[in-house]
Amino acid sequence: MDPIYLMNNVWIIICFTLVLLMQGGFILLEAGSTRMKNAGHIAGKTIFSVGIVSLVFWAVGYGFIYGEGNAFIGLSDFFYGDFTSVVDGLAGSVDFIFQLAFAAIALTIAFGGFAERAKLTAYLVFAVAFSAIVYPVVAHWIWGDGWLGALGKQDFAGSTVVHLTGAAAALAATIILKPRIGKYNKDGSANELAGHNQVYTALGVLLLWVGWFGFNAGSTLGVDDAFFGYVALNTQLAAAAGAIAAMLIVWAVAGKADVPTMLNGALAGLVAITASCAFVAPWASVLIGIIAGLIVYGSMRFFEKKQIDDPIFALSVHGTAGIWGTISTGFFATPELAAMNGGQAGLFYGGGLTQLGVQTIGVVSSGIFAFVLSFIILKVMVKVMGGIRVSEEEELVGLDLSEHGSYGYPENMPKTNGSQSA
Amino acid sequence: MKSFEQLRQYRQQQIVKVSTSHQLLNEFHDELMKGIVHTALKKVESEWGPPPAHFAFFLMGSAGRFEQTIWSDQDHGIIYDGLEEHQDYYLQLGTKITEGLSLCGYELCEGNVMSSNPLWCKSLKKWEEQLIQWLEKATWNSIRNYSIFFDSRVLVGDKSLLLKLKELSFSQIDKSPHLITRFKQNIGNVKKAIGLFGQFLPKQYGEKAGTIHLKETIFFPYVNALRLIAIQEQMTKSSTLSRFHQLPEKFSTLKIYEKDFINLLNNRLCLLLDCKNYDEVHFIKISNLTTKEKHELKRIAKNGYRLYEETKALIDKGV
Repeated sequence: MDPIYLMNNVWIIICFTLVLLMQGGFILLEAGSTRMKNAGHIAGKTIFSVGIVSLVFWAVGYGFIYGEGNAFIGLSDFFYGDFTSVVDGLAGSVDFIFQLAFAAIALTIAFGGFAERAKLTAYLVFAVAFSAIVYPVVAHWIWGDGWLGALGKQDFAGSTVVHLTGAAAALAATIILKPRIGKYNKDGSANELAGHNQVYTALGVLLLWVGWFGFNAGSTLGVDDAFFGYVALNTQLAAAAGAIAAMLIVWAVAGKADVPTMLNGALAGLVAITASCAFVAPWASVLIGIIAGLIVYGSMRFFEKKQIDDPIFALSVHGTAGIWGTISTGFFATPELAAMNGGQAGLFYGGGLTQLGVQTIGVVSSGIFAFVLSFIILKVMVKVMGGIRVSEEEELVGLDLSEHGSYGYPENMPKTNGSQSA
Repeated sequence: MKSFEQLRQYRQQQIVKVSTSHQLLNEFHDELMKGIVHTALKKVESEWGPPPAHFAFFLMGSAGRFEQTIWSDQDHGIIYDGLEEHQDYYLQLGTKITEGLSLCGYELCEGNVMSSNPLWCKSLKKWEEQLIQWLEKATWNSIRNYSIFFDSRVLVGDKSLLLKLKELSFSQIDKSPHLITRFKQNIGNVKKAIGLFGQFLPKQYGEKAGTIHLKETIFFPYVNALRLIAIQEQMTKSSTLSRFHQLPEKFSTLKIYEKDFINLLNNRLCLLLDCKNYDEVHFIKISNLTTKEKHELKRIAKNGYRLYEETKALIDKGV
């Protein structure tokens, strides 16, 4: 057997495990960024949603993305299980499982908008709907045989497909769910509902950062020419620049070197470089990371002011930075790398406005589609399920207790009325 | 002799008349607090008899510096020139004064810097021991206690008692010049009101969102800088203004900041005129300020930071 074929497959299965391990990063990031009373719930829901997305992706998701169909959706390869097929130089199963991990990331991002107030049943139903329809359609448009891919849209590892799609769904959810109790005062001013553990959040970011090498470098889908090294280099530079830029901007503007903002800067750098890592020069990666770090802070402030309560900053980190990252290739894609990986050179390399236009169309169409479809799904869920938000009492007592019956931190929580009267 | 209730009513009626003049307002506070102390003393005398020894009731904090606004909290202590067993009497007096002040609108001190607390109500001898101990230990807390003690003046009683204590502390500091560094470190953490781009840095969250804490962020750099100089130069006057007046020649470059401080004293009374209680009195809502007021406040804040930095630099140079 061809050793390169074998190495490609080994490389991608390693990358699959790295991307799957990013869920561990999300568990720590989300649990750390929210309050103690919801920690067990936030951590646990991540695991069962990986369960749901795995089954749904196997049943229909993969087929809708990569099956043979039309420019809008794929329509074959359902209940995937062919051990003989070869896709993009990989065993079909290896390609399948790598793609599955991406779908799981998109769903976890979407659930950022649910944090600390959605019913458990809402998670269950939306997990099925999102991974069956919302994500696969956008992924098909860009990575399958869809119309955006045909236009030459550049999205190497999924700033749009994974991050923006997830964030658009999160936006729909935050709007429908409304802010958490106590987030805003009557006069519209915001209160700080600080996360309970910055150490978890920081560890979560580091775990995501490490996993991102599976996400981006793995998106080479092979080891030929060891191009994954170049992708990894750009990824590292953007994340580093994002962290520093966010730290400096929040320090300068708010007078405090706020840790959560700095952490979001690192993530924003990673999200932004996800689309562009295979298309741009290292200096451009630094710039893309810096800009991501700056806009993520502006975006956090913007959403807070607009009374859109986004507890774990999914909208800013994955949405705003995802948009910027996607559009950035329209400016910075080099002719050589575009020739190698698809699309055309960016504006700053004499490519004119063509690629920038394609990237913009991609962002707008994918963002609107994911938002509108998610909004409709959630509205239908509200109608059918009699609401998707827990009651005021349940929210106050915490979702650990109301949705699962036990606290993530039992020793640290106040005694309930039940135990007092016993 | 007026009762506490009468004094409370007197305050309510009169304070508005003096609320925009720094000098008149602080003179009014002094007059009122003297009345409260005398009433408290009468109450204690009726149960416990006359004071068993000479004593001094002294003010600290903003009252000690003659820098109170309309609303103020309590910071005070008692020194008595007597025996240990007299402490019960003076603690009783301190408790009555605390009650009276509280009734008349002076918030209790969160840090319990009040003459009802044995830490701040002692015989001269015990005070001397405590001061020496504070300065010898030189922990963050003991240095802070000394700094609080240092901004003090006698309101009722024997002024020489407090003077003796301050002089004793000076001789102690003379023996350990490194203490100046400790005093400097103790006030090293300044909360800034102005950011890198010259913008205000208001609170971002909660009911106080959009406000700045005037005392912590703008007032304290002036107060802390001048206190540092006063300790080093062994100045016994307690108000920041009188410390400005007495600045020795080697600190003459700092004299230019005096008018900013006077402006601050006067401006803040106007800015805080609508405050309803002690909780509100430190917070200024930026959006309520006119462009001119914002500009002036920023200028004063920046000059405060300059004064503070220049003071530290001069002291580091060993002037």
